[in-house]
Amino acid sequence: MEYLLTGFQHVLTPVTLLWVTVGVTLGYILGALPGLGKATGVAVCIPLTFYLPPVAAIAMLIGIAKGSAAGSAVSAILLNTPGEPSSAPTALDGYPLARQGKAQKALKMGLFASVIGDFLSTLILIALAAPLAQYALLIGPVELCAILLFSLTFIGGLAGRSMLKGLIAAAFGVFFATIGIETETFIPRLTFGLLELDEGISLVPMAIGMLAVAEMVVQGGNARQLDQEAQAFADSSNPDDRRVTWGEWRRCLPVIGRGTLIGAVVGILPGLGASVGSFLSYGATQRASKTPEKFGSGMIEGVAAAESADNAVVPSSFVPLFALGIPGSVIAAILIAALVLHGLTPGPLMFREQPQMVADIYAAMLCASVILLIVGYAGQRLFAQVIRVPIRLIIPGVLFLCCIGAYMETNSIFSIYVMLAFALLGFFSRKLGFSFVTFLIGFVIGPNLELTFRQSLQLLNHDPMRLAGHPIAILFGVLTIVTVALIARSNARLAARQAADSDAVPTQQS
Amino acid sequence: MKQTNRRGFLSAAAALMMGLTGLTPAIAQADSYPTRPITMLVGYKAGGQTDLVGRATAKVLSDQLGVPVNVVNKPGGGGVLAAHELKKAKADGYTLLFHANSVINTEPLMLKRVDFVPDDFEYAGMITAYQTALATQKDAPYNTVAEFVAWAKDNPGFSYGALSPTSRMIMEEIAKANNLDVNIVPLKGGGDMLNALLGNQVALVLSGGIHYKYPDQLKSIAALTTFRHPSAPEVETINEAGYQLGMDSRTTLILPMGTPREMLEKLSTALKAAETDETFAKVVAAANIPIMYMDLDQAKAEMQRSYENNKAIMERAGIEPK
Repeated sequence: MEYLLTGFQHVLTPVTLLWVTVGVTLGYILGALPGLGKATGVAVCIPLTFYLPPVAAIAMLIGIAKGSAAGSAVSAILLNTPGEPSSAPTALDGYPLARQGKAQKALKMGLFASVIGDFLSTLILIALAAPLAQYALLIGPVELCAILLFSLTFIGGLAGRSMLKGLIAAAFGVFFATIGIETETFIPRLTFGLLELDEGISLVPMAIGMLAVAEMVVQGGNARQLDQEAQAFADSSNPDDRRVTWGEWRRCLPVIGRGTLIGAVVGILPGLGASVGSFLSYGATQRASKTPEKFGSGMIEGVAAAESADNAVVPSSFVPLFALGIPGSVIAAILIAALVLHGLTPGPLMFREQPQMVADIYAAMLCASVILLIVGYAGQRLFAQVIRVPIRLIIPGVLFLCCIGAYMETNSIFSIYVMLAFALLGFFSRKLGFSFVTFLIGFVIGPNLELTFRQSLQLLNHDPMRLAGHPIAILFGVLTIVTVALIARSNARLAARQAADSDAVPTQQS
Repeated sequence: MKQTNRRGFLSAAAALMMGLTGLTPAIAQADSYPTRPITMLVGYKAGGQTDLVGRATAKVLSDQLGVPVNVVNKPGGGGVLAAHELKKAKADGYTLLFHANSVINTEPLMLKRVDFVPDDFEYAGMITAYQTALATQKDAPYNTVAEFVAWAKDNPGFSYGALSPTSRMIMEEIAKANNLDVNIVPLKGGGDMLNALLGNQVALVLSGGIHYKYPDQLKSIAALTTFRHPSAPEVETINEAGYQLGMDSRTTLILPMGTPREMLEKLSTALKAAETDETFAKVVAAANIPIMYMDLDQAKAEMQRSYENNKAIMERAGIEPK
């Protein structure tokens, strides 16, 4: 505690605060620009961190992580082009809200949910890093495999109108994720001899193509109609559409709390990442809601759920890094580099040998949360104007940024081809009503599920009876079966009801 | 974005200069080398262990040579993509690759798609060595390979974590020689490996040296190099333990074939400065990577020796490139 107070003294200096603000602002802007994101920000900043004092360098990197996680909601809401895959669920409800003229409301809720999730998760990190990391080690491949299997059941909730199409899209996601060198025999799968595909299709260019480029093409086709709509709602604004009302706060606070918890847990577990966090939170919120069918048509809770979990993952993914020296995310891996450069070794030794340094970093993280609120609030007024810009002016700019974002991931033109290929796939999946969200879930969870399943087979010595030693895995296995049964039952009931009153109420397009 | 613009501008300027000086003989260029920024390829994503050492090396080279040395990450295929790109680059000393030499002395022996031989490249020197080892928990009941084998015979179906084809091969060889029943658990990346080891999921792993960061929880039972590790000099090498499986890999400055010797010498001398550079020492010490400098002639000999050595090991193990 003393250390933390001294830490604040160290951080609340003009120089450090400046770099935190630079990091948060840069992250927020990069996140808000479609196509660019964390990866770009980090690539720009690694060389910079060589010349900064350690706390400033690390604070800046953390600022980028936090800023981009929050900023990616902006483009998701305004343009339906999530800046990062983890904001894809934000777009599901945020974009419909924006089209209803409630862009400012959605943006504000997104920002508040981000900041609250971020702040609480940082507190969890500070209070519990060491003990939590020890517990996280109990989650081995066998447990992880069961948890991932359970996460797949959320596809049901996110599939949109047709469960079958949702599952097909998810299967495609899994299929594309199998490309690359297989981890057990090291034989390349489906690479067609292209060395570029050895390490698989990279998430960033794939997501940019699927989410941003494809969306721009679709919007290009509807440009006239979209512009007319923008004209119409720009004139009729009710003040309640621009702010978050008390009623909405009351409904969203439990959602944010749950999102934070889910995000924090997902961040601590190895190899899951922010996308899984926001998908799970969105799915869980939808399932808990009294009106699940309204999700996807502009429910403010959807934005709150996705964004709170998205940002809560960031600080908690540092738990394994600080406590054990294991990077839990891309940013965490980069942070190791920054820490090592300045002569620090992340891990248990760091707490013992450099407690002040750790406290400084914690203080910087808390400051970054507050700065994020300020930067985001100021930035939103500016970004919200985007919605008045005619689509034909937005599209070329977005496509340009997408190319840069894809290229910077690997410094090779191949990533741009990957982006274009998935733009094509994304275009048709939109036109034919296949959910790209379930595709993403399949893509992110599929390979982890395969790896942990293979690991489990070996660890259990191919003997199912040995599962008895893994109660957590059994628990999640049972949960999976129960959830699937529940979904099947509620779907049957829903189908029966829909058949009964399909003439009276036109079903929502999602 | 700023960087991209700058890089674009630089390469345009570089192209212009190449056009102007294209007619002068290579020797004259070698005299004044280097006159413009050097591009250093690194075959891993930004932020990894080798990337870090590469960046520290770039800084030393830049200080020594007086021109900027720009690091460009070209991840893919464990460095194979970057090496392919280097092979196609001009042999003018302005494009070089900083990478583990395993991309040339081991990968081609494992993968049919990779056909490098040591004579495809020039080497300006080597700077650090990887402390590859068989690692386990501190409280494991074995300290040597012999003790491990005895334990494994009593515990059939034990788990071993493998990150790469080479690490599978090593365990399969030990298992074959002693008739052990092993379950090889595939691992993905260093973080996954540490999780498996610290979480007591596996009895043993092949570690690239990262486990030396955990002196309180982890230990080595054998060095998989031909030399004993500076981080744990009391631990025997695998060759000393009676298995001829020791393979060395070192971070190496690799250049395209045909680069003039004068340029290689300048780079080699500049690289030597890293041995005594303070920042460089700090970076590698924090990561437990020992500095083992070799100049250009030693590096070339080491490439040849390690290639022959690894090839013999693979042939004995009956490994066919696939």
